[in-house]
This record gives sequence, C-alpha cells and structure tokens, in this order.
Amino acid sequence: MLLKRMYDWIDLRIGAREIVKKELTGYLLPRRINEWYSLGSVLMVIFGLQVVTGMLLLVYYVPDPEKAFKSITFIMNDVPYGWLIRLAHAVGSNMMVAVLLLHMFSVLMMGSYKSPRELNWLTGFILFCLIQGISLTGYLAPWSQLSFWATTVATNSAAAIPVVGPYLVEFMRGGKLVGPPTLGRFFALHVVVLPAVIAALVAAHLFLLKRTGISDPPEGTKESRNPWPAKSYSYQSHPGGIPFFPNYALQDLTSISIYFAVFLGVVFFAPNFLFTPDAFVPANAFQTPAHIKPEWYFLANYQTLKIFPSELLGLSVQVVAMTLLALLPFIDRSPERNPLKRPLFLVLAVGGILVWIGLTIWGHYS
Amino acid sequence: MTFLQLKTKSYFPGVPSVLILAALLAPQLARATSAATAATAATAATAPASAAATAEQPETVCIQCHGSLPDQLGEPVKLWRTSVHADNGISCNACHGGDPKDSAEAMNRARGFLGAPKETEIPAFCGRCHPGIMKDYLGSAHGKMLGQGGPTCVTCHGNHQVVKASLALINEKSCSRCHSFERARAIRDAMQQTESSIVGIDSRITGFQAEGVDTERLGKALFAIRNRFHTLFHEVNVALVKKEATLINAELGKLDAELKVIEESHAKRRVAGGFAVGGALVLALLFHLLRKTFD
Amino acid sequence: MQKESRRKFLGVCLAGATVAAVAATGYPVLGYLAPRSGKVGTGKLVFATGDIPEGEAKFFEYEGSSAVLVKTKAGALLALSAVCTHMGCIVQWEKDKQDFLCPCHAGHYSPDGAVTSGPPPKPLAKIPFSVADGKITVG
Repeated sequence: MLLKRMYDWIDLRIGAREIVKKELTGYLLPRRINEWYSLGSVLMVIFGLQVVTGMLLLVYYVPDPEKAFKSITFIMNDVPYGWLIRLAHAVGSNMMVAVLLLHMFSVLMMGSYKSPRELNWLTGFILFCLIQGISLTGYLAPWSQLSFWATTVATNSAAAIPVVGPYLVEFMRGGKLVGPPTLGRFFALHVVVLPAVIAALVAAHLFLLKRTGISDPPEGTKESRNPWPAKSYSYQSHPGGIPFFPNYALQDLTSISIYFAVFLGVVFFAPNFLFTPDAFVPANAFQTPAHIKPEWYFLANYQTLKIFPSELLGLSVQVVAMTLLALLPFIDRSPERNPLKRPLFLVLAVGGILVWIGLTIWGHYS
Repeated sequence: MTFLQLKTKSYFPGVPSVLILAALLAPQLARATSAATAATAATAATAPASAAATAEQPETVCIQCHGSLPDQLGEPVKLWRTSVHADNGISCNACHGGDPKDSAEAMNRARGFLGAPKETEIPAFCGRCHPGIMKDYLGSAHGKMLGQGGPTCVTCHGNHQVVKASLALINEKSCSRCHSFERARAIRDAMQQTESSIVGIDSRITGFQAEGVDTERLGKALFAIRNRFHTLFHEVNVALVKKEATLINAELGKLDAELKVIEESHAKRRVAGGFAVGGALVLALLFHLLRKTFD
Repeated sequence: MQKESRRKFLGVCLAGATVAAVAATGYPVLGYLAPRSGKVGTGKLVFATGDIPEGEAKFFEYEGSSAVLVKTKAGALLALSAVCTHMGCIVQWEKDKQDFLCPCHAGHYSPDGAVTSGPPPKPLAKIPFSVADGKITVG
C-alpha cells in the first residue's frame, strides 16, 4: 500500500529501517521497567505544550507595563478560546514543576544518579534550576499586583549576599525597584533565552541517557548493587529486554494520557485554584497587598528566609542545601541502589523531603 | 476476560498522578481555610523577607509618627488601619490636610493642615470627597439638626475606623441613642431585599473577577447603583426609599441577566471539560490495554 | 491469534480517539488565531461637511481598513475605499492634480475612483454615505 511505498522511498535514502531498528524496535529496556521511568517523556510533552501555548499567547500579549495587563484581559475575555490557552499555559507551568519533583523523587529512590550517571544528574539538576527560573520570569508577564509584588519579594532575597547583593538585585530588576526594565529583561529571558537553554540541556540529558543506557530498576531483584568497574566506557544493554517501540512507547503514551486527564481537570474545573484575587488586579507600585507570597514551589525558600534572623544565613542554608543536592552522586558513592537497603540515605532523603513539605505548608500559612 | 486481570503492580501510574493531585490540592484546601483568617497589613511587615517590600511603599509621615505614639495620640492609627480608607490608600492628609511627606511641616496650618474638625464642620470635612452624600444629609431631618443634638457623619460611621457602608449601620443600638427605632426599622426593612440583591451580585462579580473575567464595566455599574441606593438612607424618608428601591431593582435585574449569560458560558466550558478529561482517560485505558497485548 | 485481533481492534479505537483528540485541540486553536471582523470599526461614522474643504480629501478608518472622503473642486462629495486594487497599498490624494496616486506602482485614479493609468485592474470600491443637516454619515 501507499504508506509502505513511502517508507521504502525514505528507507532507500536515509536507511530509515536501520534507525527504527536501532532506536525503536531494537532498543531494549529492562523487563522489570516500571511506570516511573515514563515521567521523563511526560515532562517533554509538558514542555512542548508550554512552548506551543506560549507561542499562541505571544500573538496577542504585549510586553509593555501599560498594556500587558489589558492584553491578558483581552485574551481571557475577547479572544475565542483565549481563556483556554492562557489557563493551559499557567496550569502547565505548575504541573511542570510538580511532575519534575516526582521525577527527581523516583531518581533519588532508585539511586539512578549513581555512577556512571553523574552527568545525567547534573544536567537534570541544572534543568531543575532553569525551570524555576523560567517560572519566575513568566510570573511577571501579566503585570498584576501578584506578579509585581511576588517578583519584588523574590528578587529582594539576593540583597542578603554580602558585597554584591544590592547590585545583583538592581541588575536583576534593571533598576532599584521592579519596573518597566524588569519586564523587558524578564520577558526576553522567559521567551527566548531560557527556552533555548532548556532545550539544549534536555538534548544533552537525553544524549547522556542514550549513551550510558537505561538503568535497571533496583526493586524486585536480590542483587541491587551495581558496582560499575569504571575501567572503560560501556553501554548498559538489556539483552532479552522489552523493545522501546511499541511496548514502552505505549507506557509513555499511557502516562501522558493520565497526565492530560489531571491537567485538563484542573484547567476546566479548578482554574482559579492557582490564582489569588490579586492576580486579576493591575499592578500598583504604590500599594503592597497584604499576604503577598511566592508560588507554592518557592514557599519553602520563602519560609526559610523568614525563620533565620539574618537573611544572609537563610540564603546560605539554601545554597548549601542545593549544592549538596547537586553534588549528590559525588557524595553518595555506594553502589547499592535499592532504597530499602540504604537506610542512611532513606532517612536523610525522606527527612529532607518532609522538611521541604513542612516548610512549604508553614510558608503558606505564615 | 483478561481485561479483568489487571495486575496490581501496574497500578503505579495511579501513584504519580494521585501524588500530583494531592500536592496541588493541599494548598487549595489550605487557602480555603486561611482565607477566613484575614490579617491586617501590619503582619506582612514583620517578616524580614517582605519587610523590604513594604518599606518601599511610601507611608505618610502622619502614620510614621502617630503610629508609635501611645494612648489617644496613637489610637486613630490603629483604628484607621482596618478602615476602607486605608484599604484604598487614603491616609490622614486626605481629610486633615497638611504635607504627608514633610514631618516638620505636616501639622502646619499655614501649609494646609486642618486639624480635627468642630462638630458643625464635620459634614463639610467628609463632604470634600463625598459631596453627594453631604448634600443629601444636609437636606434630611438629620442634617437639619446639625449642631442641635443631631447626628453628624461620625455619629454613625465613626471617624477613623470607617468601613464600607452597609445596612448594618441601621441598628437598634445606634439609632435609639436619640429616638425610638420604629421609623429606622421601617426604612431598613424596605431596603433589606435590595441590599441583599446588591450584595449577592457583588459577590458573583468578585467571583468572576477571580477567574479572569473582565468585570470592569459590571463592577462600575454596580458601584453606581449601590451608591445611588445608599444615598437614599441619608434622606431618611420612608416613602422615597420605597419608590427608589423599585427602580433600582430593575437595574439590578439587568446586571443579573448579564451575569447569568457569563454563568451559562462557564457551565458550557465545564461540560466540554468533562468530555476532555473523559477522553484523556479513555485514551489512557486504550494505550494501556494495547500495551498489555505486547507483553 | 486472539492477541492479533485484539491489537487490531484497540489500534482502530486508538486511531479514532486520537483523531478526535487532534480535532478537539485544533478547533479552539484555529478559533483563537482566526482574524475577527465585525467588532472593529462597524457602525457608522459621522463627519461635519465643513471638515472637508473643496479640492481636499480626508482619510479615515472604516470597517478595519483605510477609506477616504473626497470633495472635488466642483463640490461633489465621494466616499471610497483607499485600498489600491492592484496590490493593496493605500492611495494618496494629489491636491495639485486632483487625483489619487498609488505610491507603490504609480496607479492613478480619478476623484470618483476610476482607474486613469497604471496597473490597477479595478476602480476604487465605493462606500455608501448620506448627507443631511451639514453632517456626512458614512456606512
């Protein structure tokens, strides 16, 4: 039939059958692979959706302090389905962070950051920071009371850094206070710079994954230590495993569909759950609303700064915590990957997560 | 038949999504309960992280000085902080005059400082910004008794802790200070139904605003109707109140119709949403079942 | 084989569901991007007859595109689309020559919109208007 002839035509020119065999049907994954491994592809779909909805929003959004808020009101009220595109973008950004945290959690639990996968962890960690950055810069775009003052609070925290702190704050804001220059640079970062860097890092992350080979899940097997000989490069293959296509590709698609069910549920049924009323009041540089708080994923940072009497101390504690997290594969060198056989790690990791959750909840109520 | 043999282990997909839902719902539930515990703007200033933010907002010299004074010199500031004037950025100088930026000259009469008004000066004091109400009051039975034991604005509305006007101001305790409550009760009863309509429409508009609906025109229309309605009271004339209330109810009916249109379109969105979520779940099930045929 | 037939059935269901999903996504996106007419500039425009002196032309926006009111030296009043019928550039009024010139490819139109020279294939579209009580109502 026609499709087969088209496939043959392409195959003759680029050897498509060979590629399909190598990357899809012949790419073998461990038999015991579980659903947590599909979170990466869910993240890619979320990112793709953010890019597409972001591009659509760019058609009507105006990045000027005088016009920004009105242009978003216009999108929400007058553009057909504008409300859907805008809400998809806003809800999507929150879901991106939530799914990213789940992805990180599974990597921590399965010890997939350990040798030889340190580079994967590092690129992933950088992506984590970049996603936080792109969320922060995007938050300012609507130029609402919430945008303006949450950005003020967030950029202020850098002031605690000794010597260069206040200059850093001014550099970030493009001025002493949040204002038109801030919107300009945040918009450039959010729309072009950060997406490009994120895309590049995702490519690197995927390359490293393919080059090293997928890890075996540590559960369900007696031998969960993977002493990596570190003598020469080798690809971790899974002979007798299941093919990526169609088997695990279908799992990816299942997880993506479940994600969409949750995502669309929030978009259609709880749209103002992520917005406070201040998100719909235009920014007023002379009136700080009571209770300005950052988004939920920054509440732990916010609360940490509030606990410590000195902002510098609060900031340092967070820098240390993030550095330890970034260097985890170099600190935890044991080859054991089953979480139940790593009691010290489990206590520290679960403890750390509970502290983060606790600080987040406290930050919300304080 | 094999459809029913879903292995329990493969209910893992449920775990990530339940966790996502739980993580996202927790703040929502938290917000619903904490919304009731509204704190004053002062609490935001106690946190070091946000102190810099509030310090950047210019506070008048009046508040800066009197805010830290004891007893009756500092009391007005405490009262003012919870007022509708404070919520809208209206500070002491708006009523009392004077320079809000210059501490040395702030209370200089030559620079426009007015001090505290005498009893008969009160209506003109408030009337500088609320001229319509002042006119209604002066023409009413209350206004005609100004300076002869009659009430001034402050008698019913307070002077520093002025809150958004509502029918609650017409109550037995307040009105029977000077006379029996009968006529006041008749007026309040006549206004009750219209007042609750206004409050109802107001909360629907606020609800829509929190969803991103452009409520500017509706909000302004309601604001105008509400003011027109509330000025009725200053006339303290029962017959007039009843007549005007009918006209106002008609206007409110028009606003209600507009809000209903918005409500209907939102209901349609939710129906579409139901299909979308259902569709996604169907897709998930189909992909899952197809995967199982390859295992 | 039972698996094969189940696979085919599921495959067909999935294909259908995916097509439905793509359509359900594409429809709002197209609606979002489609240009909206009607809301912009419909409704009549009113000018005072004194606004346009003899031998002059007044350009304005009508129904989202450029239009012009011209009063010839003889006193005749005309309302035309100012969009050149050649490639869509906006024509200019030449007061000394009392005609319209399109700056893109030098198309010329007489004051009543007829093509006098150059590449335009059709005359300038006429816009209905009426005059009463010293007022010109366009549309």
